[in-house]
Amino acid sequence: MIYDTPKFSPGGDRYILIEFGNEMNLDLNFKGQNLAHALEDGAIEGVIESAPCFATTLVHYEPEIISYNDLKKQLSLLMESLGSSENIEVDSRLFYFPTFYLDPWTEECINDYRKNINSEKEQDPEFVSRINELTDVGQLVRVHSGTEYWAASLGFWPGLAFMMPLDPRCRLTAPKYNPPRTWTPQGAVSMGGMSTAIYPVASPGGYQLFGRTPVPIWDRELRFPEFEGEFCIFRPGDRIKFVPCGLEEYEEIDRKVAEGSYKFNIVDYQKFSVSNYKRWVSTLDTSARF
Amino acid sequence: MFKVIKSGLESSIQDWPGRIGHFNKGFPPSGPMDSWSFRLANLLVGNSSDDAGLECQFIGPELRFLEDSVIAITGADMQPKIDGKPCAMWESISIKAGQTIEMSYATSGARSYLAVAGGILADVSLGSRATFDAAGIGGVGGHALKDGQEIKSGTHRGRMFGQRLLTESRPKISTNCTWEIEVVAGPNDDWIDQEGHERFLNSEWKVSAKSNRMGMRLEGPDWTFSEKAFTKLPENGSEPANIIDQGYPIGAINLAGQTPIILLNDGPSMGGFINPYTVPQCSMWKLGQARPGEIFKFKVISVSEAQEKAREIKLLCSDKSLVR
Repeated sequence: MIYDTPKFSPGGDRYILIEFGNEMNLDLNFKGQNLAHALEDGAIEGVIESAPCFATTLVHYEPEIISYNDLKKQLSLLMESLGSSENIEVDSRLFYFPTFYLDPWTEECINDYRKNINSEKEQDPEFVSRINELTDVGQLVRVHSGTEYWAASLGFWPGLAFMMPLDPRCRLTAPKYNPPRTWTPQGAVSMGGMSTAIYPVASPGGYQLFGRTPVPIWDRELRFPEFEGEFCIFRPGDRIKFVPCGLEEYEEIDRKVAEGSYKFNIVDYQKFSVSNYKRWVSTLDTSARF
Repeated sequence: MFKVIKSGLESSIQDWPGRIGHFNKGFPPSGPMDSWSFRLANLLVGNSSDDAGLECQFIGPELRFLEDSVIAITGADMQPKIDGKPCAMWESISIKAGQTIEMSYATSGARSYLAVAGGILADVSLGSRATFDAAGIGGVGGHALKDGQEIKSGTHRGRMFGQRLLTESRPKISTNCTWEIEVVAGPNDDWIDQEGHERFLNSEWKVSAKSNRMGMRLEGPDWTFSEKAFTKLPENGSEPANIIDQGYPIGAINLAGQTPIILLNDGPSMGGFINPYTVPQCSMWKLGQARPGEIFKFKVISVSEAQEKAREIKLLCSDKSLVR
């Protein structure tokens, strides 16, 4: 459900959690991101930073400048003045990520887990296809690559974007690994719950794996100008499109990334309009898959 | 400038309040776990509050100074010695070029802080020198000190040796293995039932050895949940402690299934578990000084009480605490 008025709860003495609702609904994230933009523009004195997530936004404040109760009041007023999510129109970059679906590296990683941790674990692409009632892994690739994704939130690990499919016909769900994997290759394309993620670096993890992109999203050495001096490429509100590629293209891009000559494919002139988006969604037959 | 002869267990460069303003990209603040002791160390040597210093964990380093300097050591007692002779803590002392400071294991507390007049120079990443080891940023090359490294410090702002602190301005590091930790209820306190709250507040919690700068695991009784944890929508996840991924405050007592993990300075910025309580800033220093096996008892205070306590500590970390 989406609450009529947001709920506030304290996180210690310098954080406040704003809860817009208790369901997975992009509308709640649009509200959170819109609020975050207003706060970034200095709408409330004493707010240090805010981090929008799916149904909530966490605000970090300086209690010597604003009290908890005053912050609550000001946040309520600000959210009222921002109005409904229909009015939201924000700059949104679009990234194309060449992706080798059903690649050998994530397959090796899954097999390693099956060998050492859980021999019953079904291969991830087959498992995700089956529980989402897709005909085969080929359809998984078509469905997963058939939509733009919305970077709803960044976190857990620096630069790790939690991405939601914008096309409702491409929604998939998958439980996380239990117990988690001890390693996952960098660039693994994966999903857990309702969100998709790219692994920024090799790390333990729990998302179901079914592809790999050679394009980095974490750049510790600041080698690529597209990162604009930051270690991670994404911002909340970016859009991402996975473009299926084969081994040859993967290796070619991988080589260019290694030598630092890779050029990211980024479209940066569009605005994301929530009302246009909702109008488009309302015309779709959401029971259909690709 | 000093040379690292032995790095100690995990000695890292930190600054306070750390890497602020990048939480929405998943960067935790890092910074000293016991910021009270850290701030006092900077105060003693005449540094500004945002100068970087060294955090030493459990077993301290051995450092040879390559130039005359003024230093101060605060926090856990690691029996510091200069050229083999015990040296004072909680005051600024001078050290000559060629002298070696040697720190041993902590006899009480867990983390010792060493400030050098002029501040320690290191990589500034996203506005801070604080080491965030997991992502390899800040500090020297992104990680804890390594044997053989030479570490530079900034220019002194005068010779500040011989400054001491009023005893009452120092944090009282527990010597009986028991700590009372203040907590603020929330943000997800309504996911726990009445018995669960009482059990949390009336039980003793043991600090697990599986703790580090990211999180501190606690061992204790199981939790019980309110109806909300069972009637939620499926997108919240299958376990009672699961919730739709949300931002995690620093200090949150994060309930990973049945195991509470207090999220610390290098902790994850978001995830899918509830946070029924949060340790406020005024008590975070205790987490930095508690050792595996020690016992926590929690005490609820209000948001405004927690803010008042943070103000009191801030005041103690000012010139008023210095004795010349």
